Amino acid sequence: MSTERTSPIDSATGAVGDGLDYVRTKLEVFEGDRLGQIGLAILVTFLLIGIFARPYTIEFLDLTIPGLTPHDPGERAVGGRLESPSADHPLGTTDMGRDVLSQLIAGTRVTLIVGSLAAFMAVFIGTNVGLVSAYFGGWVDDVLMRITDIVYGVPFLPFAIVLVAILGSSLVNIIVAIVLILWRSTARVIRSQVLSHKQRPYVESAQAIGASHTRIMYRHILPNVLPLTFLYAAFAVGWAVIAEASLSFLGFGDPNMLSWGEMIYNVYTANAIREAWWWVFPPGIAIMLFVMSVFFIGRTLEEVVNPELRHQK
Amino acid sequence: MTLLDITELKTYYRADDGWVRATDDVSLSIDRGETVGLVGESGSGKTTLAKSIIRLLPDNAEVVDGSIDFDGTEVTELSNRELRKQIRWSEISMIPQNAMNGFDPVYTVGEQIVEVITYHEDTSKAEARERARTLFDDLGVDPDRVDDYPHQFSGGMAQRAMIALALALSPSLVLADEPTTALDVVIQDRILETIKELQEELNSAMIMITHDMSVVSETCDRIAVVYGGRIVEIADAETIIMNPRHPYTLGLRNAFPDISDDDQELISIPGTPPDLVDPDDGCRFAPRCPFAEEECWEVTPEPESYGDGHAVECHRADEIEHLQEEAGKKETWVEQDLGRSEEIEPSPPEEVELDD
Amino acid sequence: MGLRAYVARRILQLIVTFWAFFTLLFVLFRMMPGDPTSMFIMDGMTPEQREQRIAELGLDQPLYVQYVEYARQLLTGDFGQSFIYRDPVIDIIVVRFMNTIVLMGTALVIAYLIGITFGAIMGWWRDSRFERGGIVVTLIARSSPEFWVGIVLLSVFAFWLGWFPSSGMRTTGGELGGGFVARYGSADFLRHLFLPALTGAIVYLATPTLLMRSTMLDVLNADFIEIKKAEGLPERTVLYKHAARNSILPIVTVMAIATGAAMGGSVVIETVFNWPGMGREMVNAVNNNDYPLAMAAFFLMGSVVIIMNFIADLTYVYLDPRVEYE
Repeated sequence: MSTERTSPIDSATGAVGDGLDYVRTKLEVFEGDRLGQIGLAILVTFLLIGIFARPYTIEFLDLTIPGLTPHDPGERAVGGRLESPSADHPLGTTDMGRDVLSQLIAGTRVTLIVGSLAAFMAVFIGTNVGLVSAYFGGWVDDVLMRITDIVYGVPFLPFAIVLVAILGSSLVNIIVAIVLILWRSTARVIRSQVLSHKQRPYVESAQAIGASHTRIMYRHILPNVLPLTFLYAAFAVGWAVIAEASLSFLGFGDPNMLSWGEMIYNVYTANAIREAWWWVFPPGIAIMLFVMSVFFIGRTLEEVVNPELRHQK
Repeated sequence: MTLLDITELKTYYRADDGWVRATDDVSLSIDRGETVGLVGESGSGKTTLAKSIIRLLPDNAEVVDGSIDFDGTEVTELSNRELRKQIRWSEISMIPQNAMNGFDPVYTVGEQIVEVITYHEDTSKAEARERARTLFDDLGVDPDRVDDYPHQFSGGMAQRAMIALALALSPSLVLADEPTTALDVVIQDRILETIKELQEELNSAMIMITHDMSVVSETCDRIAVVYGGRIVEIADAETIIMNPRHPYTLGLRNAFPDISDDDQELISIPGTPPDLVDPDDGCRFAPRCPFAEEECWEVTPEPESYGDGHAVECHRADEIEHLQEEAGKKETWVEQDLGRSEEIEPSPPEEVELDD
Repeated sequence: MGLRAYVARRILQLIVTFWAFFTLLFVLFRMMPGDPTSMFIMDGMTPEQREQRIAELGLDQPLYVQYVEYARQLLTGDFGQSFIYRDPVIDIIVVRFMNTIVLMGTALVIAYLIGITFGAIMGWWRDSRFERGGIVVTLIARSSPEFWVGIVLLSVFAFWLGWFPSSGMRTTGGELGGGFVARYGSADFLRHLFLPALTGAIVYLATPTLLMRSTMLDVLNADFIEIKKAEGLPERTVLYKHAARNSILPIVTVMAIATGAAMGGSVVIETVFNWPGMGREMVNAVNNNDYPLAMAAFFLMGSVVIIMNFIADLTYVYLDPRVEYE
């Protein structure tokens, strides 16, 4: 035992150090995993592009951080109609003479917003449903699982189309539609995981000392299934982005927020798919890269959750 | 008549920090119809030794050196195809620890017995099925149960069914890996008896792997005690039970109850099995041996013969009378007294994945 | 519980799920913005005609009467009249439905045949270059939305190389055969089918491949695999007859979910390739406010998914002798 006294500052720096250590131990799972590292690198790149896509003005400093987009993505005729790539427009222009590169950069934001919000909400709902269902069992479990079964019977995209048609095409409605379906897989998986944890001694001892249900569920069981939750969150990000892109491609995207899927929809409606490869391929590749990055990360997490899958060596 | 002759066998596993010497310089020969027990703690390398014989090793394991002569055939030099056709199951079969997991759950037990018979022999399905039924009958299982799925059997029944599978081709050698550990004692005895009977009838040899002294003492003609990848003592069953010379054998005997002796005190061997990654010279049991001397830490003991096929790898095997007496006392096996006197405790062995 | 009781219980569950699903539909389509009757009314009607139409559709009745009537109509296959086509919805939808089933069925069968084989081999040759490469390729395929794969294939094979037609189901002017084989077996049809079916196959390949691989890894650790090897059975027998046969069980469950994904995917793939199926019809219907048609399409898609779930559960019981009927 040390008799030294620690000052508040010391303990604060200690806490920061611990925090960094914590992050480092969490990141260790990516060590030696090429795919996970690639995924992480791509994701961080997209994050930075999304954050700095458009100019920021900090008023009281009278400072403007310039955005990454060379042109205003919505401004018409910054170039000619359907110009192929040039120094001025590295990815060419649209049928309205808009700059494709600028649109691509601006579209990153929509992807990030939809991906993170929808995934967070879906996993949040799914985890809670799974936790409550498995923990209480009996009729609670029956009711919640039958609801999950029913949601499994609803085809994702058609449902989203109908819902967006009813509620109107806005980013919020798109996210709602995605969340209403996406929670189902998390719920099932978390439920089966919690069922096995429920039998373990630590839960029984918590019950024996009279801990409340809420406390047992959220303080004792939840931390144990959290890795699985993260794994499903990673997948959910991927599926949400694909769903948003598909909806936008079909013309049900938010007309006020240009997304990658919508760019491709515009190519279709402009009947330019045959000629304007510079307009079609960048957003498609961007979607693919983004989803790929989260799936790569997900795979790394999967190996942590399920060591069976881990490569020997 | 020698059936199996293993000489200086070395089976190693590749690990991050070197070779795990799971079977290190082991020689063993078995006669036709003979039953030999391999006794040792888990991780001692006894399963690796057995699996080396039919080359059923994981990808990271390798027979580095030595020879396995089975009835005139050098097993280590066979092609995979020859091994499958000539050796596996037709000559050497095995009984796993947990029979329930030894059957493919989606086929009936009968289908699986028929599958292996018809693959190796020119037999019709109907005949193979009839043989399966006869085997079931011999083993005391209702023949109609050949049409049941594995999960419909109880543990003991599944084990009998597994024995039926193992004997289906009348092999000359059966490798039984803890065949009864998963069962309760009464069933255990009955199954061991059945195995013995059938084995004698077919004149099959058997290698019985176990950590349970009482099982080997009942069933085996000879017993080999395995420690740290080596056979440290081998002799006929009676000698091993009544008059062992290796301190580890003495310790093992202490750890199991002797039904005839009511006052016997159970004493366990302190410490853990050794780290087998590129071990240094010296006796591998020395860190846990209450009788270890300077020499034991520095020189690896060679097997020394004490007549009648009794061989021991121990520097102090000559002082047997004194040691046997000491080994029966509980005070002898106290943890604090272990370790090399002037040295710090050896670091705990790293966990190594053995196929055990 | 015996097998029969299990099946009975599962049928009951099927009915409940159906009921919940079409109730959801009823609620959704009554939630349309604005006047709940406006969506059923065609433009250019006099107020009298409008009243009459509302009465005809039963929209002046209380909600529960409408609900019962709606249930009766769905059960008898009466989906009403399409606004755009001015024909009974059922006549339009049946043909489109068949086209979708042929397209997505082909895609799924290809995806699962290849995926199961690939996944099994990947699991068997664990840590090989084949496995590592296979994972990367499948993950990339899985990361691509259907429309993107479709566009890439379209650009390469239709626009650039010109090997396959870019849209539709048959060359215009081509004779429409009478029978099923004439309709779906002609070389012209197959040429049109190739790209959209390949698109679906590529996208849906990932799930069975990765799942098969991971269950294979589990199964390969089982004791019985070692015994089968010890039995001297050829590697192919151990791989396909035992390891793969056991690993296939979870795939059956996932197949139902895959059908759901494929139903959704049909919406996109048919739009990309202009395939006259139910998915594309649904998008058109929603865009043109043709709600009876949209609803019918949605209803059929959901039904396929629900029935597939049912079939999958029963198949599972058949394939796995260990299943306890809860």
